[in-house]
Amino acid sequence: MTMNRRILAISLTTCAGFVVVSMLFFAVIGQPPVKTLADMVMFAAGDSYSISETLIKTSPILLCALAAAVPGRLGLISVGAEGQLHVGAIFGTAVVLVASDASAFLLLPLMLMAAAIGGGAFGYLPGILRARLEINETISTLVLNYVGILFVSALVYGPWRDAVNLGWPATMPFPPAAVFPTIGGTRVHLGLVVGVILAVALHFAFTRGRWALSIRVLAGNRKVGETFGLNYRRQVVLLMTLGGAIAGIAGIVEVSAVQGRLQPGISIGYGLTGFLVAWLSAHRPLIILPVSVVVAGLISAGDALQLFAKVPAASVVVLQGLLFATALAVPGFLNRYRPYHGT
Amino acid sequence: MELELASLLGMWAAATLRSVTPLLLTTLGETLTQRVGVINLGIEGEMLLGACVGFAVAASTGNPVLGFGAGALAGVALSLVHAGLVLGVRANQIASGLAVWMIGLGVTSYAGRAYVGKQVTSLDTLGSPMTANWPFIGVFLEQTSLAGFAAIAIVLFAAWWLANTRSGLAWRTVGESARVAAENGLNPGRIRLYGIMIGGALAGLGGAILSVDYTQTWAQEMTKGRGLIAVGLVIVARWRPALVLPVCLLFGVAEVAVLRLQSTGVDVSSYLLASSPYIIVILVLVATHMYARRALVMPADLRSVFA
Repeated sequence: MTMNRRILAISLTTCAGFVVVSMLFFAVIGQPPVKTLADMVMFAAGDSYSISETLIKTSPILLCALAAAVPGRLGLISVGAEGQLHVGAIFGTAVVLVASDASAFLLLPLMLMAAAIGGGAFGYLPGILRARLEINETISTLVLNYVGILFVSALVYGPWRDAVNLGWPATMPFPPAAVFPTIGGTRVHLGLVVGVILAVALHFAFTRGRWALSIRVLAGNRKVGETFGLNYRRQVVLLMTLGGAIAGIAGIVEVSAVQGRLQPGISIGYGLTGFLVAWLSAHRPLIILPVSVVVAGLISAGDALQLFAKVPAASVVVLQGLLFATALAVPGFLNRYRPYHGT
Repeated sequence: MELELASLLGMWAAATLRSVTPLLLTTLGETLTQRVGVINLGIEGEMLLGACVGFAVAASTGNPVLGFGAGALAGVALSLVHAGLVLGVRANQIASGLAVWMIGLGVTSYAGRAYVGKQVTSLDTLGSPMTANWPFIGVFLEQTSLAGFAAIAIVLFAAWWLANTRSGLAWRTVGESARVAAENGLNPGRIRLYGIMIGGALAGLGGAILSVDYTQTWAQEMTKGRGLIAVGLVIVARWRPALVLPVCLLFGVAEVAVLRLQSTGVDVSSYLLASSPYIIVILVLVATHMYARRALVMPADLRSVFA
């Protein structure tokens, strides 16, 4: 009970703190604080168009957040979703380029599988480096992000560039069979459904059964877990690979359903945003669901703000950083002023 | 023929020193921060802010040295966010660094728009008519500025200071054990604050040298992970400022060598070549972890945050 009250207090203080901090930020950049904030809420969820834009952005953020949360359950801090997303996009696109005549029933599952394998491989690498050599996974995943992004550029500026594009760096447009279907007349696509199903599945995987228990024990204390015969290193590799696979799926879904072809700039920092969402949600899949919608709303409101109020979209990156800093500051802040409440 | 080879080597040496100078200062800064027991991934953002503010000041005053100073101050200012989160409210150090990075990235993308495509006066090169005909040295000086030599001097001084002075000993003690340091009358909180601030100053200075002296342009996200590479190189340099110099120089030589592949006629995508610094840093990390026991040299208090 006290635990729940503490989480509630932290959540409410974080929200209030973020509202104050973002209004300060708007004041500093010379925008009317209250009006801009109200505008952002309207742009994020004011009408059906705004809501569909927010939901389109939710799907890569949700998947990248799950990708960070999976290794996060073991206490690993993996920030590699951005690179894994790009490598997943490459692998999924390869399927389309090889079998562009295949039917959707064959093509879409194959694309998802290939993307999961590519992203998974890009997660396996920092995983095995951590498990075998104790190389810090945060540093290796951060550095590998740049590699994944550059691989996409190397391909679309090089062998994969469609000659019809007259120099524009992109593959050929995906055939209709390779485009993920949208939901009921909106632009919201099946990627969101995949994300929700994965979140629910991961919730059960991480809360019930032997595997959930062994991860919880190992995350709490590696040495204790190992005296019970649990294999820490194997779980590191497994969870890093699984996280990478989920981010890889985010990549191909974004390329297929939103961009329609592989090109540079398929992700506007979804990997880092996903990491933020996973951290805010304490790596819990069912909390990630609503939080990713809210953060997607923030980003999509930023796009609209740039369009209508001429506030550059970069301000949303500042807001994300401020949200992160606020969320990090609040628990310690509350502890400091209420030490007698205990944990 | 002999003369030509000498000038070629001189050009390579100059290119290496120039490209590695920002990394050298940033890696030293992160080394000092980690020696007091704090890891700061936010130096990527601090370097970026230093590059942005340094370029803005240098472009509007026409004075590169003012730009360097402003860049260093900007780095310190952003590092105070990390200090507040980590020392003030005991937030997770890795997460706090990422938050600082996000703030730096956003602020520079926002404020830096005005400076895209602007001109800047950089430092004079060191060449003079007297040295122009000297083999190797002539070409080398022709293409380097004082910044690279100043950076090397700063690294050497920091290495000497940390190893041989009373205050250096205090810093090392805090990194090994804040508790022992406190029992001996030191103030670990204050020394860690200084450690974070000096890291921010050096990263900001490195960033300013990058934009004002090396590329001589400002571009969004122009540090491209150099700060994160610096965090990796700290481990390779075994947390020792004296080793920061050879490690960074070797890294620079490898980077320049790969980039020069293209000019020898090898047909490789420039994007693949651009990924080489990141792959090189992963490879040297693998080599370091395979051949050295790092547990023995890592500041002991870091181990709790940084497995």
